[in-house]
Amino acid sequence: MEKIDFSEEINKKIEVIKEEVLSGKINLLDFELNPIFSDIKDSLSIFNIENYSESYKNACDLLSRKFEELRNLLSSLDIEKKFLDFLKENPKDEEITEIFNGCWNRTFELDAISLSFLEYASNRFCKEKLMDLKIEHLNKEKSDFQFLLEIPRLKFTDKLNAFFNKIKTKLPCYFEDVFENKLDQIKIYEQFVYLLHLLQLGKIKYQKDTNTLYV
Amino acid sequence: MNEISILMHLLSRKKNSSQIGATKKEILDVLNVKTKNKSIYFQNLITGLSDYLEPLGLQVKFNALNTHWFINYENEVIELVSNNPFEGKPSLAATLLCVLTSCLKNSGTSSIQEIRKLRSKKDITDDIKTLEKEGYLVIDKTTNQVQLTPLIGYKLDLHKLLVKLSLKLKE
Repeated sequence: MEKIDFSEEINKKIEVIKEEVLSGKINLLDFELNPIFSDIKDSLSIFNIENYSESYKNACDLLSRKFEELRNLLSSLDIEKKFLDFLKENPKDEEITEIFNGCWNRTFELDAISLSFLEYASNRFCKEKLMDLKIEHLNKEKSDFQFLLEIPRLKFTDKLNAFFNKIKTKLPCYFEDVFENKLDQIKIYEQFVYLLHLLQLGKIKYQKDTNTLYV
Repeated sequence: MNEISILMHLLSRKKNSSQIGATKKEILDVLNVKTKNKSIYFQNLITGLSDYLEPLGLQVKFNALNTHWFINYENEVIELVSNNPFEGKPSLAATLLCVLTSCLKNSGTSSIQEIRKLRSKKDITDDIKTLEKEGYLVIDKTTNQVQLTPLIGYKLDLHKLLVKLSLKLKE
């Protein structure tokens, strides 16, 4: 048996027909679908059956659309005659109401939301929310008690901001680059603490996979 | 803002008491579509919206009376709620059917006299006025002619009605 497969050509042909129907170039009711089904039937074999099932489905979709158009055409013929025939029988009001039952639609309406409001809401939703975080320094209270931890002489926030301003220009950079040229371990530790605070406050961000700090 | 949001807005807005949704031209103008294959693009857009709305119990429909596309609740959803605008008013429904028949027979307009004849009722003035008030029709006071508004195309599934009528006539 010859291994032939025209499924791609048939699918393309169906696609072209669909596009021409949609653009109004051809009317499905005037179009012969037999050649497509004949092509499928004549070249179908066990080698191409998998690809042909898709082509067959597409061809059936087209046929189903043709049936739909035919159905619409038939139902649009002699509409007024059907109505008149019914009314000639002098139906009761209740009978007419019964005919209407199940034929009512319910439209979906959204009057309250205008396009400009939707645009405004969309922009507002998508806009990045920038929050100005305020760091307040603790006030030293007068007390006779002795504490192990004393509030530093210089405000922590001032130190933190000074550190932030110093490294801001370097960003984005690798994590290690922030401590570049620092030899004093205490100083490195102090700056590491500042960095942790800045990360916690969201003033600086850290990307783990690239080991990068950025604003 | 994407095409879905814009389409949802256009197809669900009420322009006036008898017009809902948008025409193909209005949709393409708002979306600024100027490509060669506008019709194909439009069809894909409507199909895409329809697929998107299906799980929500909504469907995209076309009102042939004013060539407007609009959004409708699916049958299963409609069946859950009472949707008959003439519930308890069988006289109005009967008069509407007569107006519909008469207008179909006379290419869109009809005289009140002809409707009265079809209705086999002496006075249908109140019904006609109520139908006008509810937006189903307009009355030309000078010629005494009645014309259906596009509202009937939104409210009523004419295809279903015809099927029911055909079945009824066969009985």
